[in-house]
Amino acid sequence: MAPDRAVAAQARPEQEFFCFRVGDLRFGVPSENVLEVFRAGLLTPLPRTPSFIMGVTGHRGEVLPVVDLLRFLSKGEARIGPRTRLFIGVTGSIVAGVVADTVLGLRRIPVSEILPPPLGGDSAAEHLLGVVQGSTAQDGINLLNFHKLLQTARQRAVAR
Amino acid sequence: MSLDTPNEKPASKARSARKAPANKASAAAPPAPLKAFTDTLLTVLAGNLQARVPKELVGAGGEEMAHLLNQVLDNFASSEHRKHVAAQEIDQALDALISLVREGDLSRWNTTTEDPQLGPLLEGFGKVIETLRTFVREINEAALRLSSSANQVLAASTQHETSSTEQAAAIHETTATMEELKHASAQIAENAGSVARVAEETLGAARAGRGAIGEFIQAMQQIRSDGVAVADSIAKLSKRVERIGTVVEVIDEIADRSDLLALNAALEGSRAGEAGKGFSIVAAEMRRLAENVLDSTKEIKNLITEIREATAAAAGAAEASKTATESGEKLGAVAAQAVEGILAGVQETSDAARVINLATQQQRTATEQVVASMAEIEDVTRQTTQASKQATGAAAELTQLAARLAELIKRFKAD
Repeated sequence: MAPDRAVAAQARPEQEFFCFRVGDLRFGVPSENVLEVFRAGLLTPLPRTPSFIMGVTGHRGEVLPVVDLLRFLSKGEARIGPRTRLFIGVTGSIVAGVVADTVLGLRRIPVSEILPPPLGGDSAAEHLLGVVQGSTAQDGINLLNFHKLLQTARQRAVAR
Repeated sequence: MSLDTPNEKPASKARSARKAPANKASAAAPPAPLKAFTDTLLTVLAGNLQARVPKELVGAGGEEMAHLLNQVLDNFASSEHRKHVAAQEIDQALDALISLVREGDLSRWNTTTEDPQLGPLLEGFGKVIETLRTFVREINEAALRLSSSANQVLAASTQHETSSTEQAAAIHETTATMEELKHASAQIAENAGSVARVAEETLGAARAGRGAIGEFIQAMQQIRSDGVAVADSIAKLSKRVERIGTVVEVIDEIADRSDLLALNAALEGSRAGEAGKGFSIVAAEMRRLAENVLDSTKEIKNLITEIREATAAAAGAAEASKTATESGEKLGAVAAQAVEGILAGVQETSDAARVINLATQQQRTATEQVVASMAEIEDVTRQTTQASKQATGAAAELTQLAARLAELIKRFKAD
């Protein structure tokens, strides 16, 4: 926490991201879009939905659709185990559960360190705000444009 | 000398008879009739005993005279003839005697006589000679038999000597063999003694082995009971480890929930803005602690897995050890039985060796006695050989003597 505190002390502009890992990919979602994290419980599959909708689950009396980011971004397929987390993402009126294998934590990232997404990339690139380089290529975090992502997802789901 | 005597007497008689006529003639020349007498007498004296006075020359007066003289001459001639014959027979007898004495020839005695006076003498001689002949014959026969017997004695004696020598050699050989036998039995006794000693040592070793096997079996039983205890302990340990695993699961669960709680607390703090900043920091710290706990429980789980594997291996090992000790006990029992057999066998060997030792000692004593007896027999045989040599020498001498006697006797011709 010492680095966080040191970053906070500086007047440089920074943004807080909720960082997690799915499969081999690391993602970051702006922390204001995240309501809560809980353990993935029993999922009920929904018929006639796109494959990235894994199903629905109940949480605190609400029914939430659960999104598999890997399928949505065509990067593979998420698996649900005993330690798999779900976080509740919210943007505007859209609320959805998103599968995360491991939650890395809340990170304050200086805006100056956020790099634009690579040009000429695949379809995933359009949902990215930018990229933060890590010490290695694996440690790099893809910062998601969560608002756009959920809207696109809802459009796709509804379009069917 | 005396041989001439019979001839001399008649000669002197003749001379004396002749002397008288010679004296008569020299005294005076006789007349013619007388001359016939004289001539006749001279002729007779000269040796012609056949000469007779011729009757025609003497006269009538002289016939009687001539007849008488002729008768005298006849008597004289016959007497002379008898004397001559006797002398011849005596010569013949003397020749025979001389030949007998010189050559031992008794066969040539066949002298006879008509002379009644010589008859008994010759007859006596003849009887003596006959007796001698008989003696010579018997002696000859006896000498022959003696020679034959002496030869037989010599042969027998020689044979006896030979066999006595052979006997001596055989006895010597027997003595040597008995000596060897004595040495051999001594060797056997010694070997049997060492066998007995070795058997005694083996007996001790086998007894020690029996004790060791007993201890081995006890140790095996101890190991088996220990192994059972170890297996029990391992089972208990396994249960405890499982219990620990359960507890760790609980801890893990709690840590996981703590993690989530801390994460949500951080999100809450974040939403509170600047006011919740410190709260978020504390929550992040808590989350780190929860992650540490999770790391630790993960490590514990790994350790438990290792322990489980180790206890499974230990349980297997204990089982194997149990099986091994059981077979070890069985083997020990077999070995104990084998050692019992060895003990019995060694005991028998020891007894047998002792008996052999005793027997060979007795044999040695007996052999020594036999050797002593053989020495005595050898001594006696040597004496016997000596004696038989002497006997052979005597027999040879006797044979020679017999031969010489036969030779001597041969000189007497009995037939």
